[in-house]
Amino acid sequence: MKIFVCVKQVPDAKDVRLDPVTNTLAREGVESIMNPYDQHALEEAVRLKEAHGGEVIAITMGPPQAEEILRLAISCGADQGVLVSDRAFAGADTWATAYTLEQAIRHLGSADLILCGKQAIDGDTAQVGPGLALRMQIPFITCVQKVRSCSDQAIVVERMMDDGYDVVEAPLPSLLTVVKDINEPRVPSLKGKMKAKKAEIQVLTATTINADPACIGLPGSPTQVARVFPPEARGERSVLSGTLDEQLDQLVEKLTPYL
Amino acid sequence: KANTATISDWKGVFVYCEFRRGALAPVSLELLGIGRKLADTRGVRLSAVLIGHDTGETASQLIGHGADQVLRVDQPELADFSEDSYSQVLTALVKEHKPEIVLAGATAIGRSFIPAVATQLNAGLTADCTKLEIREEDGLLMQTRPAFGGNIMATIVCPAHRPQMSTVRPKVMKALEFDGARTGDIIDVTPVPAQLASRIKVLETVVCEESNVNIQESEILVSGGRGLESDKGFALIRQLAEALGGNVSASRAVVDAGWISYPHQVGQTGKTVAPKLYVACGISGAIQHVAGMQSSETIVAINRDANAPIFNVADYGLVGDLFEILPKLIRKIEEKRGA
Ligand SMILES: Cc1cc2nc3c(=O)[nH]c(=O)nc-3n(C[C@H](O)[C@H](O)[C@H](O)COP(=O)(O)OP(=O)(O)OC[C@H]3O[C@@H](n4cnc5c(N)ncnc54)[C@H](O)[C@@H]3O)c2cc1C
Ligand SMILES: Cc1cc2nc3c(=O)[nH]c(=O)nc-3n(C[C@H](O)[C@H](O)[C@H](O)COP(=O)(O)OP(=O)(O)OC[C@H]3O[C@@H](n4cnc5c(N)ncnc54)[C@H](O)[C@@H]3O)c2cc1C
Repeated sequence: MKIFVCVKQVPDAKDVRLDPVTNTLAREGVESIMNPYDQHALEEAVRLKEAHGGEVIAITMGPPQAEEILRLAISCGADQGVLVSDRAFAGADTWATAYTLEQAIRHLGSADLILCGKQAIDGDTAQVGPGLALRMQIPFITCVQKVRSCSDQAIVVERMMDDGYDVVEAPLPSLLTVVKDINEPRVPSLKGKMKAKKAEIQVLTATTINADPACIGLPGSPTQVARVFPPEARGERSVLSGTLDEQLDQLVEKLTPYL
Repeated sequence: KANTATISDWKGVFVYCEFRRGALAPVSLELLGIGRKLADTRGVRLSAVLIGHDTGETASQLIGHGADQVLRVDQPELADFSEDSYSQVLTALVKEHKPEIVLAGATAIGRSFIPAVATQLNAGLTADCTKLEIREEDGLLMQTRPAFGGNIMATIVCPAHRPQMSTVRPKVMKALEFDGARTGDIIDVTPVPAQLASRIKVLETVVCEESNVNIQESEILVSGGRGLESDKGFALIRQLAEALGGNVSASRAVVDAGWISYPHQVGQTGKTVAPKLYVACGISGAIQHVAGMQSSETIVAINRDANAPIFNVADYGLVGDLFEILPKLIRKIEEKRGA
């Protein structure tokens, strides 16, 4: 089984702030990590490989330094890392990102399974997975919380819904996006780290994957970010005073409209 | 790719109305509320798209809540949600009617298949919007959304492609009052069989007892954190929720501990909620938690650590021991409601 895992390098969310003067992201000193959901996608891919054989290819579209997360992926069990990187990809929205990943995966041959995270914790859209599946013309299931069984022909999974879950069967090839409930990602082994250090990361450019310039990067993106700004600050907080009983009475008074 | 020259061919507003297992998702009515506003500003029609099976009187309900017309696709094959069939049916309707704007709820279902619809249409899609307005100069839809876990807001436009598509966060837009006097057309649409075909099969649907409620739709949420110490401690949260007539949610620490299931997790890797009242008990207020609840109307925090960051977003804060405070608070609320 040939499994592709789409991984994204993201800034560590707790450090991200908007510079109040310039309204640009203050990225200085912000650490980059593998998108947490993608770690779960990777772990699931490695488990499926361990159970059914095959290979796991981690793929990312990003700047040269995104190579780091590919090495991390290899240390956690991926067989290969592929970096799709080109200045021309800069500013891609989810439409252009899905197009680029599609071109890259097609360039690398066919996939039996593509795994993505439910969403990236920076863009937060959850749109790349479904978009990629549609482009690959394969079925997709989002928010998978468990893989129940998998054969060469089909996969049975639990798809998280707002009020529970559905048990869903899809033929292979398919694309799944996963939530964190699906597994507990392993920490890299020493042997894995050694392998990752030595691994050769394949780099694909816009030309290698034969990308249409009108479909990539900022020019290929239907959505445009017109403005970014900090969220509105919440109003002043009210102080409750007195003994605990008095504070509770004041609170219940304030809550009256909701009762 | 869409062609700029044809943009004027696209007119009207579409709202996808989510219907599952006999019920309309409340966000659908909120979407009709904002959809009505956008349609009036643009001087165009508002169409509700209803996809599912056994939809009964739902279509007339949608008219009463603001739709000029309902495109109803009611078929047995659509009884279960399938990414495949739902996206094909909606894509075909959009291609036929060419609306300039398409809105859907940012729910599990909306965020699953709407991206596939947008991809098929070569249209841009803005995720999880909290504000939608028409820009006066050029009539473009200004779509505002939080990103980076709520740390920043972004306004997004799609100048050169149609339709302009957004998923919209539940509980943010206001539904219109039902007006039985409103009139509109209900049009039954029969899709071609290929659109109803689904490669994926739903084998079983499991509704989690407590997850019967979607916390994103709750008006009042009582949320518990690690400070409750145990499953037993967490029972106090359920009692307070009951006293307030609300639902229960939790921090990730609690979900990881297994005191409640994942659909109840609030935060960056859980759900984003914006209830009228959010009561955080024994939750420290880590950025990943706050990202999921900071747009609640009123926030109450109870924590024994006066420096807990949750107090930075709270409107009312109580510093003290939960095991002392919660039973008293529950009693006082019950008294107040009883009175
Ligand atoms: C403030 C802001 C707001 C934005 N809003 C929108 C918007 O509303 N609509 C829109 O279309 N674009 C938007 N974008 C652009 C969007 O963030 C990028 O297109 C991004 O490359 C992919 O989207 P995402 O981060 O939301 O990923 P998601 O779709 O949330 O990611 C889901 C999964 O897809 C895979 N994946 C995503 N990106 C990559 C990658 N580069 N390489 C490999 N795998 C990947 C991963 O498995 C990931 O877990 C926005 C960008 C910014 C900065
Ligand atoms: C990538 C990533 C994603 C994450 N996503 C989420 C998410 O979606 N949602 C989420 O919630 N977290 C998320 N987290 C985890 C988050 O960082 C925190 O670890 C988590 O929110 C802590 O949960 P808590 O507040 O319940 O527990 P703690 O931080 O342990 O806080 C417990 C609080 O209870 C108080 N307390 C203890 N005993 C009492 C008592 N007797 N009376 C009163 N107060 C008491 C303490 O003072 C403390 O403030 C994420 C983390 C990462 C790295």
